[in-house]
Amino acid sequence: MALTRRQFLKWAGATGVGAVVFNGCSVPDEEIRVQSPLELPEDLVTGRDNYYATVSPADGEGLLVRVMEGRAKKVEGNPDYPVNAGKHGVRTEGLLQALYHPDRVKQPLTRIAPKVGPFRRMGWPEGLDALKATLEAAEPGSALIVTPPLRGAVAGVVRSFANAYGARVAAFEPLDQAPLRRAIADVFGQQALPDFDISRANYILSFGADFLGTWVAPTRFMRGYGEFRQGRRERGRLVQVETRMSPTAAVADEWVYVNPGTEGHLAMAMAYVIIEEGVPSGGTDRAYTGGGGLGQIADYRPGAVAGAVGLPAERIVELARAFADPSHAPALAIGGGSAGAYSNGAANLRAIYALNHLVGAANRPGGVVYNPAPEGEQVKALSLREWKEELARMRSGETKVALIKDANLLYGLPAELDAAGALRNVETVVSFSAFVDETAAAADTILPGHTPLEEWGSDAPNPGPGYRTVGYQQPVVRRFRDTMAFGDVLLQVGAQLGLEGLPGATMREVVRAEARASHETGRGSVRAPTFEEFWKRALERGGWWDTSVVARSTGPVRQVARSVAAPAFSGDARRYPFHLVPFEANALGAGQLAHVPWLQSMPDPMTTVAWSSWVELNPQTAKRMDLAQQDVVLVEAANGRFIRVPVYLNPATPPDVAAVPFGQGHTQFTSFAAGRGANPFDILAPSEERDTGALAWAGTRVRVTKTNRRAKLPSLEGPDPAVQLDDQPIIYIQRPNGGNGAAH
Amino acid sequence: MNPNLAIKIAVPLVGLSVALVALAVGWFFISAWWSQPPAILGFSEGPEQPVAFPHTVHVQQAGLDCQFCHRTVSTDEAATVPAVEQCLFCHDFGKIDGTLSSDPDAAAEIQKVRDAFYGSESRAAGAIDWARVHRLPDHVQFVHQPHIAAGVSCSTCHGDVASMEVVKQVRNLKMRDCVDCHRDLNAPTDCTTCHY
Amino acid sequence: MVTTPDLDRDLNKRPPARSWGMVVDLDRCTGCQACVIACNAENYIPINEESHYHEGRVMSWIRVERYWEGEFPNVKARFIPLMCQHCENAPCEPVCPVYATYHNNEGLNVQVYNRCVGTRYCANNCPYHARSFNYWEPVWPEDLRHQLNPDVTVRSRGVMEKCTMCVQRIRRATRGRDNVPDGEFAPACVQACPTQTLTFGDLNDHSSRVYELSHDERNYTVLKSLGTAPNVTYLKKVED
Repeated sequence: MALTRRQFLKWAGATGVGAVVFNGCSVPDEEIRVQSPLELPEDLVTGRDNYYATVSPADGEGLLVRVMEGRAKKVEGNPDYPVNAGKHGVRTEGLLQALYHPDRVKQPLTRIAPKVGPFRRMGWPEGLDALKATLEAAEPGSALIVTPPLRGAVAGVVRSFANAYGARVAAFEPLDQAPLRRAIADVFGQQALPDFDISRANYILSFGADFLGTWVAPTRFMRGYGEFRQGRRERGRLVQVETRMSPTAAVADEWVYVNPGTEGHLAMAMAYVIIEEGVPSGGTDRAYTGGGGLGQIADYRPGAVAGAVGLPAERIVELARAFADPSHAPALAIGGGSAGAYSNGAANLRAIYALNHLVGAANRPGGVVYNPAPEGEQVKALSLREWKEELARMRSGETKVALIKDANLLYGLPAELDAAGALRNVETVVSFSAFVDETAAAADTILPGHTPLEEWGSDAPNPGPGYRTVGYQQPVVRRFRDTMAFGDVLLQVGAQLGLEGLPGATMREVVRAEARASHETGRGSVRAPTFEEFWKRALERGGWWDTSVVARSTGPVRQVARSVAAPAFSGDARRYPFHLVPFEANALGAGQLAHVPWLQSMPDPMTTVAWSSWVELNPQTAKRMDLAQQDVVLVEAANGRFIRVPVYLNPATPPDVAAVPFGQGHTQFTSFAAGRGANPFDILAPSEERDTGALAWAGTRVRVTKTNRRAKLPSLEGPDPAVQLDDQPIIYIQRPNGGNGAAH
Repeated sequence: MNPNLAIKIAVPLVGLSVALVALAVGWFFISAWWSQPPAILGFSEGPEQPVAFPHTVHVQQAGLDCQFCHRTVSTDEAATVPAVEQCLFCHDFGKIDGTLSSDPDAAAEIQKVRDAFYGSESRAAGAIDWARVHRLPDHVQFVHQPHIAAGVSCSTCHGDVASMEVVKQVRNLKMRDCVDCHRDLNAPTDCTTCHY
Repeated sequence: MVTTPDLDRDLNKRPPARSWGMVVDLDRCTGCQACVIACNAENYIPINEESHYHEGRVMSWIRVERYWEGEFPNVKARFIPLMCQHCENAPCEPVCPVYATYHNNEGLNVQVYNRCVGTRYCANNCPYHARSFNYWEPVWPEDLRHQLNPDVTVRSRGVMEKCTMCVQRIRRATRGRDNVPDGEFAPACVQACPTQTLTFGDLNDHSSRVYELSHDERNYTVLKSLGTAPNVTYLKKVED
């Protein structure tokens, strides 16, 4: 037998020195880019890359993923997809690291004994059999399926499975958008969220919505914002009313601070001024007055609310006049975020969105553009009020089986509600998460799901671009771990249970059936004589959209904003002097993305802090309290719960505000997230928004106490907030009226 | 025999042989460093492949051009190894199954290719994990396309693959080798031509 | 025989050149960090761990800086994305003892990793702090290595690295073609940027968008007094 190089090296290695000498002879075998073995597709062409179109259902963005040798390399925006038009946000790229995350659940796991002990590995056949047995044994009505809000094919699968089996479906969203949906439905009569035509608006007045950072569809809004600023002859004007300076407020022409919870009062007062001075498009004042004249909203005269809002009456008049100024048309009012997260959130948002009627911005270019009602099923989030009932059912033992997919109840429900304790009383908890988050760690069995780049699905983006849009999600690589798509598990187990009315045998089939309906319309962005050709081209394109399907016009303007109650806060103002203003972190969201190392390492735009939590305090306030940068403080709510966070002296923070980012404070959820920072949900009072029962996450008051500890904040700018040098600025400012030069 | 004489002979002898061995090892190391390890002890041999693909049969007997399989060599970075399916265009449906070959292993090797495509009891369907023969360091980005466009033939760098039963590297492909050729042919020598 | 490198001959052999450049419109930037993460993925910048922040050794080819001005209620925060400015007259180039950084004929400031010996003189001399030094072996959790881009070189410990304007994309798009339509390809940051703050193109092509913006009345050069003549210029932020 001939001596091979490998054998020779083995012998040479035995002599020690030989290995060193001979390894130096060639290109080293171990290089960083050389990849470990992987299940490779049979159509692999070595050395060639491919781009696959898919969608990210969480963000509603259409993507192109570069794949080489069976591995996903880069996420890019799909230039054809109408929602994001070739661009992508900071979170979307994280899909890659979620896919190749080292701490993914690698195969199905189950407890060695019921409810106790560590997990043991098992195979999928065993896992699916166990799930089937559990579901067979459970009484009808005692099973609960928990998911994030769902759209598209998987929503249909979950609904039909739940209906056929007799399970309840409860979707969970930590920062529930119910007040926004309610306000949109009330003010515009629309079921789908509308699109905001930012690129063509001339004047944008936004209340609480960080729409250029984290709110609803930031990538789409930012695409419009670029044009709004410099993509046309007239530069648009943006006014941001917010209780914290978010990136949107930072780039706004004016940032207006109002007392938390009084956004609606400000909007009412502005409406009063606009109506009093003559509404440009007649009759729309009914939205406020109901045709009963100004007297209906006389309580909201600028002079009457100025004190509560915290703005001089003249300033309110000024804002109202600027908004209604015909030379500013088309003007657009947006509300959301913290403005909808008080006890009076829905009323606030109604008062805000109704301003659009006064300036004729409803369903107009440059205004609020309605979307057609979404086709197919949707699973919308339960409100906090409904979640409290679900937790009670768990506690009483009425809920015996809980199937939980990705919804992290134990992290995102206010800790005061003790979701962990409730879940302990559920006999069987099955998690379908791809990662062991807090909720999966409390499960009895984990049947790990795919990450979005590995599964079939479809998405009806909400908000859409103003016309019917369907995005198709396809696996761009083979499954990386021994996982199975949640939808496929339901379909397979459902078939074994003999359930009827399931939409197909696999997720791929379900998506194809949906696509068939689109094909049969014979309209839209992809048209083909045969379905197979349509399917192929729609997948290549990333979806199918039909510009001829637009929203139905709605009836005349009804009275929707007659009054706004004063906000109620948890905690007495004297003992708890600070408004807790929690905010969604730019990269980590409300904690769903804390496991992705890239997103953890992304500096926060305003503070440049990464990997960590902090509390933003006004420097003067901090000085009075003898607090310095990076001092650790206790942030304590009236329920006695507290978190420990270091101080970031934020010059833009109002004196009575303590702002803390969501996203950190995980106890589980991979080595990149666990044990890092603090979770504001731990201290939030579980108070409800009055109309919808949603969590009023901005309605908690806190007190801040100094501890004797200091912590170093990992930030890009170093220990002190960065300011420019007066004589050598790097950001130059152009002022339209003469002042052209450096910033001072 | 005089013990002194024995030492007088032995010491230089031992010394000489030690020096010779050191010299041989040194020569081996230096030549390997400078170009390629000499073709002894199994060095400079091609790696064992998961399927014993004979270029000889395909090029000399079947008369296939390099680009018949390495399709993107004139357009892309990589010459590319084709997808398994492409092998089956010729080797499926009993068309060419290796049974007529003089090589007794031919049929078994072709069966491996079919198994890769259709899957078998021992393996799932999937790509063949070919062992790489020509590998440049990670900091070199080699692109085939401009070389083919400039009329450089495949054999300039890869040697006479047609006559290789097992493909092996014949040219050292060190930076000096590349740059010498680039200078001679007036090709770009900007660093970012290859290093980025 | 060892041939002596004929540096002059190599560097003077310049074909009719493009001049790749970028214009950053500060009036569009919202500080969202999409450019940063797109760059991280394309060029596999090592994961910046928490300790790297503490040590001030964060590696980033593009970063968004934020500057405060004033205090509540009269306060402003402004963003500026900063990357290698690809200076025509680059302060980093003359101080490198091994010619590991130089200006090529396409307007790019080039860092040759396999020449770099890690003196860090260039980083000290760069007024834009655009260069990152590999203080550690680039270690990736095993599975995450699947994502690494095969078109980009591995930078090992002890090597300086910085923005290349995605030269791998430039090479791919311009290979064998004299005329590449403006906007046909872009570096990862430009491609991702949702507000289109970043514009990339050939400054020698007078019909290109980047040429037009580089002659906009709002155009300025960061730290112009240093005379670095960068290929990356900025458009002033508009405020009233």
